[in-house]
Amino acid sequence: MSAPNPDAAAQRIYLPNVQHNSALMTVKFLSACFTGATAGILGLQNWLGFALFLASTLSTSACIYVINCKGRPAKYMPGGLWELVNPGQDNMFSFVLAWTLFFGIVHVYD
Amino acid sequence: MSSNAVSLYLDPQIRDWVLFPITLVMILVGILRHYVVILLQSPPKKLPRAAIREQRALVRSQILRATSTNSPISESFYKSISRNLSQAFEAGTYLKDGPPKADAPSTPPNPLSDPNAMDGMMAGMKTQMVMMVPQMVIMGWINFFFQGFVLIKLPFPLTLGFKSMLQRGIETPDMDVRWVSSLSWYFLNFFGLNGLYRLILGGDNAADSTRDMTTPFAAGVPQAPGQAQDYNKLLKAEKDNLELAEGLYSWVGKDVEQRVLRRYGKLHSSL
Repeated sequence: MSAPNPDAAAQRIYLPNVQHNSALMTVKFLSACFTGATAGILGLQNWLGFALFLASTLSTSACIYVINCKGRPAKYMPGGLWELVNPGQDNMFSFVLAWTLFFGIVHVYD
Repeated sequence: MSSNAVSLYLDPQIRDWVLFPITLVMILVGILRHYVVILLQSPPKKLPRAAIREQRALVRSQILRATSTNSPISESFYKSISRNLSQAFEAGTYLKDGPPKADAPSTPPNPLSDPNAMDGMMAGMKTQMVMMVPQMVIMGWINFFFQGFVLIKLPFPLTLGFKSMLQRGIETPDMDVRWVSSLSWYFLNFFGLNGLYRLILGGDNAADSTRDMTTPFAAGVPQAPGQAQDYNKLLKAEKDNLELAEGLYSWVGKDVEQRVLRRYGKLHSSL
């Protein structure tokens, strides 16, 4: 039975499952950190580093989309596809931090 | 014009004694802030039974109304609960101080004089102070000890406008903006460690710097909602909502026999 109005649709969401979706944020954070480390170690500069971040975000999302969500992200996440792909502002800054740190350690210092 | 082909050589001791210590200190101070805020939080004040009953009555009617269009309870139950609540709200039986007297002017309690609301505001201010003070202290520490030298090279370019902020203390007019001082490393850490805090301390942690950005007075709003509000007016408004919801009411199980029979094909659709 489909829910025609958003109120009824909101009532069908089981809250503990939504809270468990924070595991998704953890995955995004860890992938942002490792991407930063990779970009720094490889010595990527300027737009190449951001391109690597974009590529890693897309590939992580694709993996989750195929394996976990089985092609239907709207069923598993209230925000749908955008919530899956969006890394969030926090992870963006974490990527920049890790990138700068590893770039500095490997390429700037002797 | 600065050339990117020439790169500065930096002493590795800078890395050991500045880069890592600043990050480590910021992580530890963030964890410290989180636990200090937890320790500083006083347990919520226990309300007297009458006040709790007043709040719960409002919640009960909201719960009843929430599912009224697709309600799991049958008509007689719904209507009896709804009418009971409406009458009680009208007569004021659930109010904390009893039914209002006919001649008393109804004024909401002044938030500044109501002691309950003051406690809530003080608690909010305390946490804001705890969260702002360590950041100022660390910035002062960095400006005092780690000033006047280049720390690291940013892997991405920035405009010249950032030069004054990120190269503070280094008087070189045409060095590339990508060579920055320790303060910019502080800023990078400030923004970038939130994800780490979320991982270590859990989602709702007090070390998150994004929470410092909200205005201090937003956190000063009384923590227990409704203590400064006039419940008489609220309950009257709720009574109107109840009557509206009663008009929209429909039972989930209405005509369920017909639906079951039709699903199993035992009922001709012409009937």
